[in-house]
Amino acid sequence: MFFTIEELVRWLGLTIFEICINLISLLLFTILLVFLYDPNVETSSNNWWMIFLPLFAGDALNAYFCVIVYIRSLLEMTLKFSLLRISWSGTFLLMTFLFKFLLCKRLLGQVSLDYSEVFAPLYILLQLIAVRACQQS
Amino acid sequence: MVMHRALFTWFILLVFFILLCLRLESRTHWNWFLIFVPMWIYDLILLMNAIFNVFIRCKHETIRTLFKNENILLLVIVLLKVAAQITLCLKLEYKFLNLQVYHVLIPVWIMLPILIIDVSTTLFRKEERR
Repeated sequence: MFFTIEELVRWLGLTIFEICINLISLLLFTILLVFLYDPNVETSSNNWWMIFLPLFAGDALNAYFCVIVYIRSLLEMTLKFSLLRISWSGTFLLMTFLFKFLLCKRLLGQVSLDYSEVFAPLYILLQLIAVRACQQS
Repeated sequence: MVMHRALFTWFILLVFFILLCLRLESRTHWNWFLIFVPMWIYDLILLMNAIFNVFIRCKHETIRTLFKNENILLLVIVLLKVAAQITLCLKLEYKFLNLQVYHVLIPVWIMLPILIIDVSTTLFRKEERR
């Protein structure tokens, strides 16, 4: 394989469980998109919050999982390791959530942001991922 | 090396997002197939990698064991991804084709359950080993 799951886990700093949750929420998102998106009305008239709900729920589940992992690693590992892990997971979750939130607002026409501004959290995340890529051996 | 592959993937994603933003903001009116060029390049490399690895294993494996090869899975995933991208580009570029959203998502609906099953089995196997 080009990337094994272990390599992806090491590079992205996500656990296999988190990847699984993200994939399931993406599948539910695509199903809701087909059922709720109406191409005959204006883009802003669609219920985008409802369509994006599985993705937000996935983020919430991942955040809950990260907090549990943080508490457990505090008990079993060093404080430095726990803080590093929670800060990376927190940043990753925050950036992906911000992107989805801004995209939702943009599609609803509630903010007048350019798409480059909506994609800004993803660009920041990409820079952080590049740093992590350089740390791989 | 993992670092090189990771940095290459990162670069491809960065270029793709930049092109996507330019097209979405209507600063350019390039063909959607052109916007997806970084993705086509990446998919081509993935396909070549998978096919090469499958052929190498062909020498040493029987047909039954060949289907268990993880590169076959990569091959299927990449082909489905390419199919989804082509239908998406066709939908966005050629409106007269009247393609619906579900046409674009059919390959995605095949691809995602396969990925979920693969990741889940890895997760459970890892748990069993513990």
